[in-house]
Amino acid sequence: MTTTERPDLAWLNDVTMTELERNPYRAYERLRAEAPLAYVPVLGSYVASTAEVCREVATSPDFEAVITPAGGRTFGHPAIIGVNGDIHADLRSMVEPALQPVEVDRWIDDLVRPIARRYLERFENDGQAELVAQYCEPVSVRSLGDLLGLQDVESDKLREWFAKLSRSFTNAAVDENGEFANPEGFAEGDQAKAEIRAIVDPLIDRWIEHPDDSAISHWLHDGMPPGQTRDREYIYPTIYVYLLGAMQEPGHGMASTLVGLFSRPEQLEEVVDDPALIPRAISEGLRWTSPIWSATARISTKPVTIAGVDLPEGTPVMLSYGSANHDTGQYEAPSTYDLHRPPLPHLAFGAGNHACAGIYFANHVMRIALEELFEAIPNLERDTREGVEFWGWGFRGPTSLHVTWEV
Amino acid sequence: MAFAVSVGGRRVECAADQTLLDACLRAGVWMPNSCNQGTCGTCKLTVLSGEVDHGASPLDTLTEEERGAGLALACQARPVADVTVGGAPEGRTTHPLRDLTATVLEVSDIARDTRRVLLGLAEPLAFEAGQYVELVVPGSGARRQYSLANTADEDKVLELHVRRVPGGVATDGWLFAGLAAGDTVDATGPFGDFHLPPEAEDDGGPMALIGGGTGLAPLEGIARTALRRHPDRQVLLYHGVRGAADLYDLDRLGELGEEHPNFEFVPVLSDEPDPAYRGGFPTDAFVEDVGSARGWSGWLCGPPPMVEAGVKAFKRRRMAPRHIHREKFTPADAM
Repeated sequence: MTTTERPDLAWLNDVTMTELERNPYRAYERLRAEAPLAYVPVLGSYVASTAEVCREVATSPDFEAVITPAGGRTFGHPAIIGVNGDIHADLRSMVEPALQPVEVDRWIDDLVRPIARRYLERFENDGQAELVAQYCEPVSVRSLGDLLGLQDVESDKLREWFAKLSRSFTNAAVDENGEFANPEGFAEGDQAKAEIRAIVDPLIDRWIEHPDDSAISHWLHDGMPPGQTRDREYIYPTIYVYLLGAMQEPGHGMASTLVGLFSRPEQLEEVVDDPALIPRAISEGLRWTSPIWSATARISTKPVTIAGVDLPEGTPVMLSYGSANHDTGQYEAPSTYDLHRPPLPHLAFGAGNHACAGIYFANHVMRIALEELFEAIPNLERDTREGVEFWGWGFRGPTSLHVTWEV
Repeated sequence: MAFAVSVGGRRVECAADQTLLDACLRAGVWMPNSCNQGTCGTCKLTVLSGEVDHGASPLDTLTEEERGAGLALACQARPVADVTVGGAPEGRTTHPLRDLTATVLEVSDIARDTRRVLLGLAEPLAFEAGQYVELVVPGSGARRQYSLANTADEDKVLELHVRRVPGGVATDGWLFAGLAAGDTVDATGPFGDFHLPPEAEDDGGPMALIGGGTGLAPLEGIARTALRRHPDRQVLLYHGVRGAADLYDLDRLGELGEEHPNFEFVPVLSDEPDPAYRGGFPTDAFVEDVGSARGWSGWLCGPPPMVEAGVKAFKRRRMAPRHIHREKFTPADAM
């Protein structure tokens, strides 16, 4: 390694998971300035922290996808986010038909709008609410749950599952031997998966015999010879990918966008008055606090030099998109939410052939949810008696968002 | 080599090897985008004129059928000629703009510093109640905008309400000076999007209209049109003025209330109290009167501070913002 002229990175030895989960921005700001590609001991991995290096690694022909160790421990193999070649192509071809824009446009409004209305009706006359638990997360999980074919699974159960899987997936700390520092942290994810299997296995049994238009039914049947279905063990890791990220992140995205707008009351008012601004507000919300902050990784397929660092073949690199989206080389005052900043592309949905497959779907879920929220409660205000706390390193968003309005 | 890309009234220069999205974003023109690699479809747009090279646009994201229909991915498409792009066409027609020569039929003083001007047209003018016309001030070339107080079927005699602006070119210099019946007036119209939705889309929901000064004019046309469509709908019309001397059309609006029991006209005086009328601001009167405006539409025409206060009042009573309409031109008497 050509580390001789690099800054002293001994401070990285003191970085803890707790610190990163509470506020990763401080450590990553220093990483971007001192070492945009650096080995972070607590993560047991190299980390890419700037927009340029994240994009380079994500799109480089000399890297392929790999799931993070804690992610792999949680999801198993073959999860769509951690496989390559034919298996990846097959899994993408399995999930993508339902997520194509032409397809999504066909039903997204009829799917999401009634769900948003239903949750709003429960509290719109109360004059106060906690939007993360009462609106953002329920609308997100119900929309995707109904799409997948999980209509009979309660929204609160889906929320419980993504929270448990999420904490397990990001239980990333390793000790000096590279072993998981908190192996007991995977227990709740294992428990959630057991529950998921108990509920989804009978559904799969039914879909094998009686296919319907639900996404998981299509995953089983599409592209298979007549009379055959994909093996459930083959698709479960990707079901878990959905039940974690795809369930949790639109809720994070909505809530972060709202917190950002509350920090700029005049911009909130603009967006409420002109719903056509909602997609832009969401885009800035995802840049400002990227829901998938640091949850994906790549591995080198041959010796490469990235950002001046020589990496041998087989070196994993974590992609810190949440940090890349605060890169001062790209964004002025990146920690400020600003609807009107120059609308440059961000990396919240990743890059390369593993970029998020659900971009279009997720953006529209968030858009419709915020449209309905502002339509029903145009006089929404943040309840300043309660603070807003963000949490998470792998996945990040506000833990709660208390609001009030006059009724 | 560069081409011009026109989008939403803006023109952006785009090099032959540059994507439409890149050119727009660099020029500060927002368009939805996410993956920037052709796979998510967020940046799909319609090429209205000109031609693009779809580049590496994947067939999965942009089908042959969509290409045939003129769609393109902004993040992949490069111009091969000047192009105009847009989202889905609105599909709604507007009344054609016309140059008019009108004859003054009547000029009458109806309130303090306020005149009603009736203009006769040789040919009927197609417009929607609430729209406005521009008058050419003789000799100065200046143009001034005045809302029509008419309903759409009153298409041969245009009714304008004019408030005198001390020293104003159009008012002190003309409409309050030499203007007389028989004069000829050059005008252009109709303009503006301050009008009811088409009748088929008008569900007869309750309405609140707030006008300041001669901002009452378009609201009279809108209220009468709304009540003709749905005679029993709830319509609250607030007229905010400084004092009782500024009020007008009390009889006409009183009669409207007799014909339509759910119509109410509420004058509100801000500066010169009078026991016969409510005091304060019309936007505050609305907040006092209406507990919830869920499902209502709102209509605002008047000085900008009144319009801003009206938007806040409507939202405070939870009227959906997309149902809040405001006349965007600044009435001549608003300054």
